[in-house]
Amino acid sequence: MALISFIDLTKRFPGVLALDRVGFGVERGSCHALIGENGAGKSTLGKILAGIYTADEGEIHLDGRRVRPANPLIARQLGIAMVHQELAFCPNLTVAENLCLGELPGRAGWVDRLLMRERARMMLREIEADLDVNQPIGELSTGQEQIVQIAAAVGTHAQVIVMDEPTSSLSVRESDRLFQLLAHLKQRTITVIYISHRMEEIFQLCDTVTVLRDGRHIATEKTAQTNPDRVIQQMIGREVVSHVPQHLDRPPGNEVLRVENLSSPGNFNNLSFTLRAGEVLGFAGLVGAGRSEVARAIFGLDSAATGRIFVRGIELPSGSVLAALNAGIGLLPEDRKRLGLVLTMNCRENTSLATLSRLTRFGFVRRREERSLVQRYAGRLRVKAPSLDALVAGLSGGNQQKIALAKWLARQCDILIVDEPTRGIDVGGKAEIHQLLDELACQGIALLVISSELPEIMNLSRRILVLRFSQANLLRLMAGVQVSSS
Amino acid sequence: MIQFFFNLFLKKFSTRELGTCAAFALSGRRLFVSVRPHRMSSSGTENKATSRPVVRLQEGGLLVVIFLLGLLLTLFGGRVERPEFKKNAAGEIEKIMVERNKFFNAQNLINLAKDTSFFAVMAVGATFVIICGGIDLSVGAVYALASVLAALVLHRFGTDGPHSSVSPWLCVPLGMAVCIGSATLCGLLYGGMIVALKVHPFIITLGTMTIYRGVAFVITAGQSVGTFATAFPDLVKWEVYGGLRLVPFLVMVLVTILGTVYLTRLAAGRRIYAVGGNELASRYSGVRVERVKLSVYVISGLSAGIAALLAIGYYGSASSGDGAGYELDVIASAVVGGASLSGGRGSALGALLGALIIKMIDNGIVILRIDQSYSRIIIGAVVILAVMLDQFNTWLAKRRLTKTV
Repeated sequence: MALISFIDLTKRFPGVLALDRVGFGVERGSCHALIGENGAGKSTLGKILAGIYTADEGEIHLDGRRVRPANPLIARQLGIAMVHQELAFCPNLTVAENLCLGELPGRAGWVDRLLMRERARMMLREIEADLDVNQPIGELSTGQEQIVQIAAAVGTHAQVIVMDEPTSSLSVRESDRLFQLLAHLKQRTITVIYISHRMEEIFQLCDTVTVLRDGRHIATEKTAQTNPDRVIQQMIGREVVSHVPQHLDRPPGNEVLRVENLSSPGNFNNLSFTLRAGEVLGFAGLVGAGRSEVARAIFGLDSAATGRIFVRGIELPSGSVLAALNAGIGLLPEDRKRLGLVLTMNCRENTSLATLSRLTRFGFVRRREERSLVQRYAGRLRVKAPSLDALVAGLSGGNQQKIALAKWLARQCDILIVDEPTRGIDVGGKAEIHQLLDELACQGIALLVISSELPEIMNLSRRILVLRFSQANLLRLMAGVQVSSS
Repeated sequence: MIQFFFNLFLKKFSTRELGTCAAFALSGRRLFVSVRPHRMSSSGTENKATSRPVVRLQEGGLLVVIFLLGLLLTLFGGRVERPEFKKNAAGEIEKIMVERNKFFNAQNLINLAKDTSFFAVMAVGATFVIICGGIDLSVGAVYALASVLAALVLHRFGTDGPHSSVSPWLCVPLGMAVCIGSATLCGLLYGGMIVALKVHPFIITLGTMTIYRGVAFVITAGQSVGTFATAFPDLVKWEVYGGLRLVPFLVMVLVTILGTVYLTRLAAGRRIYAVGGNELASRYSGVRVERVKLSVYVISGLSAGIAALLAIGYYGSASSGDGAGYELDVIASAVVGGASLSGGRGSALGALLGALIIKMIDNGIVILRIDQSYSRIIIGAVVILAVMLDQFNTWLAKRRLTKTV
């Protein structure tokens, strides 16, 4: 009998149906993979189990009993723990303090520090980890921190551990250490729900794989009885027609952007490339390899960056967003809710934000011009919104991205840097964004597409630039290419 | 007594709710949440141009609260005898006592407007800062410093000052310029520090609050400054009709209109909402965030200067202790008026109405003969209640957004 069963789990977010009546079972002591594209709902499902979100509808059964993990504390008491990608601890406290934070040993408010350290050491020893318990968490690497999180989970007798993309920011060695740890957990019959979109890891580590697509449950199969190709088919759901970009038929125009020896201390070194009008340059590399930092540097947001940037032969002064904007560079940032949009404002105000100074007379916004401008570009990008005065927060991810893109088109930017243009967007929206980017290239706009999804880059770009910070990561990247091109 | 307060609160709560419903009904469309699932157009090009309504739900609700509060005070306030001047049959002006409603009579309403105006003008300024995601604790001190400086100037032209013979056409504009100029400069100074030092505005304005008040104390040696050139108080207390002093009221209305135009029609106002809504995204869109931030503190200082001008004209004197604690009342007015301390939301009209509600409660306590000592308790509770209702509204809006999927 399954340890955990999900029955018709549904979760809505503004503009997105994140989970749509998802139901499947997880065997006790197994390592169960949750796989799907970005925005498929895999992280949402994990977070519901760990009590970070609550489901709108549906039931979760643990050991045959219906459970309601309404908050992380209740989930913890049920024996469910989650290992997060981002910081889950207080970075200013030591490993020992963080590990014992739930129940600090001591008497009458006084902490027994010796006992606390001893307990923390025991928890680490339990999973055969070797870390200094007196080190502040903030000084640890991401990998080490994950190990502490796992130690905390095991130490509180968790029977289920949810891991959300644990290897996404780990080095190869750290990943190997993590895989050993997972094997160790399996021996202790701890159930692991492993969220990832890395095929090779899943087939190496997991017993069962569940595929989610657009918030729906597609399949749950034993890894031994399926194969990567089949899982990819299930993930994408449609025929893998590689979209042939139209712009490739046209010869690229003149060189519009030339970057020479661009460096940013701690991020990237001596980067040089050129970009022509009507060309799409793909920018591949892992998260943390410094791709977004390159985009920031070109856009004038990195004052520490050195090197020279030429737009149509004219050198751009460094560290000035306005200079970059006036030269016709637009940046569609990676995190659209944090960097791309003002969520408290509506579609019209967001679209015209970068163009305001051109839309004013004596400081007054010319509202008719504004409206027609926004309508033109929102129409060109086929934005689906109830009205231009609807709050952007209520739109779906794809339409939010279109508004963020329309902002730059309205400003007549002809060099666009798009950073992860389809992150968190459903499959249909993705195809549409891809088609739009292709259309823009056809119209002579130069595009620099940054993406960690290789198929996306390979489908769109004429040339691909690979940024790496270690040889090992390049190798892993190459492995990724082989998988996705098969 | 307790039972009465309880009833009052219940009434207030339900009136806010009522206000919500009334605003829906009055405008005939959903004002707060603009996503309507049944009108989802299939193509973006079909977007209809719907202009943003001037009075939104927030202000609509406040108006209803003000109306009901006024009704309550009119009905339960009782009657009072007021002196009025009329020409009798012989053509002589005669003072007769007329019985009027205690709340709803011209004298009381104009008085209420005067009391509100000092706060409302500053609340409009504070709303700019709050929309931008900042906070200004210095306005009370700026008000005191500007008052004192202008009072010193006007005193020199006063009846017992050294320049009593100077034309009022010279000394009044000079006094006004000193008042408004010094207040604006104060705003520029702490705004500049906030932007340049990248320190949280709470800390900077907390510091300047004490500094400015200290400066005001030093230059007056703690004394009250009075006896102005009479032309100035005469201007502010100018009686229009039947002894009604409309100037503070008119200034308040003018400031609110200017504030509304600035926030809703000017590109500079749009940028304030953008920076408050998402500073990073604004920076990524080429908005000069520092400049926008500086501008809101200058505007806040300016508004304190205008309020100081009205107050010294009305009261005819100034001291360094003036306006103590005003900063918090002003922030409270803005918050009751719907400004969100996390930035991106608020309006000038809301600030005016928020200030009016607070002053009406003050006025009502006098009229209903409730012990004055309770007034601070009631006002504090109203501020918290207003924010709770606002959060409830936001939650409701979010739920509706989710339901449209």
